Amino acid sequence: MAAAPSPADHPHNGLDAPDGPVQRTKVLLLGLRRAGKTSILEVLFNQLPPKQTFYLETTMRIVKHQVDTVIPLEIWDTPANVTAENLGAPLSEFSSIIFVIDIRDLYNQPISKLVEFILAANKAKGDIPIEVFVHKAEKLQEEDKIENYRQINDRVLDRLIDIDPDYEHLNISFHLTSVYDHSLHESFSKVLQKLVESLPFLEGLLNVFCANSQSPKAFLFDIRSRLYVATDASPVDSATHNLCCDYLQMLNSFGPLYKSITSGSSRQRPATQTPTPAASSGPSRSPSLHDSAAGSQSSDAPISPGPPKKHPKELFYPSAATTLHPVTPGTTLTYHLITRHLALLAVLPTSVYESRRGLLEYNIVFFREGIQEICDVEDEVRDGG
Amino acid sequence: MKKKVLLMGASGSGKTSMRSIIFSNNPASLTSRLGATIDVEQNHVRFLGDLILNLWDCGGQDAFMDSYLTSQRATIFQHVGVLIYVFDIESREAAKDLEYYRDCLEGLRQFSPNAAIFLLVHKMDLVRAGREVTFEKKRDELQECSPELSLSVFGTSIYDESLYKAWSNIVHTLIPNANILSTHLSTFAQACSATEVILFERTTFLVIATSSSSSSRPALSSTNGRTNNDARQSDNPANTLDPTRYERTSELIKAFKHSCSRVRGEFHSLEMELWDFTAVLDEMTKNTYVLIIVHDPSIETAALKLNIRMARRKFEELQGDSLISS
Repeated sequence: MAAAPSPADHPHNGLDAPDGPVQRTKVLLLGLRRAGKTSILEVLFNQLPPKQTFYLETTMRIVKHQVDTVIPLEIWDTPANVTAENLGAPLSEFSSIIFVIDIRDLYNQPISKLVEFILAANKAKGDIPIEVFVHKAEKLQEEDKIENYRQINDRVLDRLIDIDPDYEHLNISFHLTSVYDHSLHESFSKVLQKLVESLPFLEGLLNVFCANSQSPKAFLFDIRSRLYVATDASPVDSATHNLCCDYLQMLNSFGPLYKSITSGSSRQRPATQTPTPAASSGPSRSPSLHDSAAGSQSSDAPISPGPPKKHPKELFYPSAATTLHPVTPGTTLTYHLITRHLALLAVLPTSVYESRRGLLEYNIVFFREGIQEICDVEDEVRDGG
Repeated sequence: MKKKVLLMGASGSGKTSMRSIIFSNNPASLTSRLGATIDVEQNHVRFLGDLILNLWDCGGQDAFMDSYLTSQRATIFQHVGVLIYVFDIESREAAKDLEYYRDCLEGLRQFSPNAAIFLLVHKMDLVRAGREVTFEKKRDELQECSPELSLSVFGTSIYDESLYKAWSNIVHTLIPNANILSTHLSTFAQACSATEVILFERTTFLVIATSSSSSSRPALSSTNGRTNNDARQSDNPANTLDPTRYERTSELIKAFKHSCSRVRGEFHSLEMELWDFTAVLDEMTKNTYVLIIVHDPSIETAALKLNIRMARRKFEELQGDSLISS
């Protein structure tokens, strides 16, 4: 516990071997043949360059991808011929259904299939969010793109209302996506956010951070997939989101570039404090949150009093800052690691960053503790289930 | 000081695309919009302040090539500093490409016998399997075509860092005092307790010089110089770093600069404290950027920034000197 964790303990990826029965949130990915389902997964979670998606093989049977983002996901990639009956699991088990439509495919077939699934999902469990990705947007010119997107949107809703006027109020969202720009990340982020139960608390902490640090915008990003898990209450401007996303990508690529085999081990910050950080922080964790989580699972799994937490508080968290000119009065983008999976990216006026950096970092320490507590509770609940 | 750089090769081999990426900060995805170059497009690229590259992008259609080799022969081939000849690895007329290449070499021998020659085997991303083998084969073929020359051949693609590697090497031959810069950079690296210091040109972000000395700039040091360099460097931790780091850094920063320009911002500086290293990237002189890589965890970024500020004047002087003396 006392030994500072070596860098090897902090893989930059999220694909840790799943140990034990962690409860995963299930996401179903549907769509016709060559709609782009597997491409979406590969680009988001395996860093496949978009140009290479062209060479992906057609998915022939259901593939379950276990993806560790802020919450552990299990994404089911399906072949085109799958139906609600031969899926192998009831639709009610899924927390979200993503339906991918090629934007050039305005004919009946995909829309019929989508409507069929919407009805089945609604029968199984009324509140499953249905996310429609109108995909491959890059294939069309700007005007046609908007037109086709609108048509697909209208047709689906018309069909549903024809069947039952009440269906107007179903939980369906449409997204215009492409693997070649940031739209896929932004849309999938919104899908993910609906699955994060602690979202209001994360957003609350971000609001407090922004208000106290003069930050006009801050995102909590899942590092590896570059999906944002939460943001503050100010509206998301795509340009800022894209920049933060690119910044994160650059830092992710920089990380291993200057990794040295010979001098790597000397890298941890020396643990100078006498009490180990884990020991001092263990008991001080918010008791209310902790207790409620523990109480819910105490019946089926006794909690061993041994090691208080899976990971001790670390002394060193990677951080970075980049400054842009000449956007008046100068903007600085900061990056701070918050947990193994999450990083805070904040936009700050350069003047604030340069003159109040100490205060900023002070705020981040508290922000980090808050987020870590929320995540720990979430982990505990899932591990127990 | 002006250097004439000839950019030649068959039509559609990618000459203008690579020029737009390296010198105009355009992303690779936009190169499909470029049209064919008609005749010769001349560009003056200010490189390193007073070093001006006079880039001749020569349209590669047969009619133009024939005219370069006949009526325009003297105009094209005289006073050439560097010839960059681009081959499309997927070309369907490889034999014809080689023939034109041979003719161009002949023209160059006649008018600029001292010009440096770089061959880029381009569009390597299109080769699906056995990239290494395909490249070796092409290189041998090119060497056969020009037996009396020692060639610098690079496999390149606009979709990865290989393009920056090739161009950094090309540019390196044009900088008169690269070795002096290297020496000063290693002194600077010592002052910062840095593993490595890298100097980039500001607009292109091509590598000009590094503290880990000239041996890391391959292609330039001939085989006989390599042995003693290896011995000298064996205890430098920079040796264990990723060998493609320079060009990958160029590529990453260029991509991020493009992202910044989309929000009408201009990239200015970067500092990072990551798991494995601390790094600061900041302006060194008015046309260069410096990247300091430190593995010692006790070195703070603020100290590195202060060092950069104090070294600025010295490096401005160095640049000034070099340009007068050449």
